Amino acid sequence: MNYLRATNLGEATALLARYPEALLLCGSTDAALQLRHAAATATLIDIHALEELKGVSVEDGHMRIGALVTLNELLRSDVVRASLPLLAACAETFGSHQIRNLATVGGNIANASPAADLTAALVALEATVTLASQEGERSVPLEAFYCGYKCTKLDHELITAVTVPLQTGEWYYRKAGMRERLNIAKVSIALTQGHGGFRISGASLGPNPVRFRTLEALLDGGVYDDAAIKEALESDTDPSGGHRSTKAYRLRVAFNMIKEALSQPEER
Amino acid sequence: MQITCTINGKVHRFDCAPESRVLDLVREAGMTSVKAGCGEGECGACSLFVNGRLVNACLLLAPQIQDAEVVTLEGLQEETAAIRESFAEHGAVQCGFCTPGFVLRAYDYLSHGGERSEEAIKAALDGNLCRCTGYRKIVEAIVKVKS
Ligand SMILES: Cc1cc2nc3c(=O)[nH]c(=O)nc-3n(C[C@H](O)[C@H](O)[C@H](O)COP(=O)(O)OP(=O)(O)OC[C@H]3O[C@@H](n4cnc5c(N)ncnc54)[C@H](O)[C@@H]3O)c2cc1C
Ligand code: FES
Ligand code: FES
Repeated sequence: MNYLRATNLGEATALLARYPEALLLCGSTDAALQLRHAAATATLIDIHALEELKGVSVEDGHMRIGALVTLNELLRSDVVRASLPLLAACAETFGSHQIRNLATVGGNIANASPAADLTAALVALEATVTLASQEGERSVPLEAFYCGYKCTKLDHELITAVTVPLQTGEWYYRKAGMRERLNIAKVSIALTQGHGGFRISGASLGPNPVRFRTLEALLDGGVYDDAAIKEALESDTDPSGGHRSTKAYRLRVAFNMIKEALSQPEER
Repeated sequence: MQITCTINGKVHRFDCAPESRVLDLVREAGMTSVKAGCGEGECGACSLFVNGRLVNACLLLAPQIQDAEVVTLEGLQEETAAIRESFAEHGAVQCGFCTPGFVLRAYDYLSHGGERSEEAIKAALDGNLCRCTGYRKIVEAIVKVKS
């Protein structure tokens, strides 16, 4: 195995152009297992030292979160807690203390797991992801960054940051799993209701997180009827069965969470 | 590849493959308080500090400790004496396999000013599993650590 460490963004993009099949290494909470289970990857590019990918800043009503920000950094950041409380609440349900010390925002987005909590929350928050390659930078709405199960539109690129409009209005975040805090979500729901109306997404309810647009339109129109909500959820989601839970279970939990969100959202 | 780091203040050099687990390296270096439990980041038995942050050694790869300061329970004997005594006093140990991980997490938590309520401590222990004790005594032991 070939191990390469990039010390700045230019070096990282040059290496990536040279070794397009390389596995990038940040916290390695996903990569360590990928390495063990997958066939040997030839090259590792360690990007965890890139200063350009660190830190959180606010400008023009948006927050820029560097790809290397860890989950514990998110959780402890006063500006995140104050301006993106949904994201802070999501980080609180994520992994364990030890995992949160390693796991990064960029790694969660790039790993493209259907159960990725942060990703679902960021889709509901209408985040944009910034990608860099040797050719330069481009920005893509996070929702459009995915193309199916474990599929992203990364094209010899790495994620440098996500940009998120600061939250306004009411919000709700809840995750259901085997244990209350640790582990992979069976279902999670992220919801905001700002000036633009409802924005709803969730994890483990499809191959990639998407906005639940039928449901959003229904609720924006003031229809809170149980049957209509169920129907909208079914058309917006595509949960898989699988060994952790059934499709029917995931849909029922998602429905209950939506009802809870409508009756007791958090204020902002 | 060559990896150089300090473990409990002493310089160590490893000649290893880049995909080697830090867990195996530190155990080979004699730090057997770091336990190989689940190997998947779930149980916390392999917890150790890297540059001051408590992490799972089973998920870390060798290059990630290049130039780093690694600290295990062996290197924190004095600092954790009160916690270890409290574990013994409250019977928070059965087989002891999980204990080094719990002691390090308790030390991490208390030294950052963690609140001494049962609820907060339970939440703080979210990355450590114990097969034997049922956690009651562990939580009690941490609440009652003498400061
Ligand atoms: C015990 C345990 C519990 C977990 N709990 C949760 C949970 O509650 N919720 C959840 O969503 N996830 C969870 N995870 C999954 C994992 O921790 C997260 O997905 C994490 O955010 C990954 O970040 P990382 O820095 O460790 O990524 P790495 O493992 O370093 O990388 C993961 C993948 O993303 C790619 N990549 C990383 N960074 C970039 C970048 N900047 N640009 C482009 N590609 C990149 C890498 O090539 C690699 O393929 C858990 C994992 C474990 C082991
Ligand atoms: S052995 Fe590392 S967390 Fe279980
Ligand atoms: S005391 Fe045996 S695993 Fe905890």
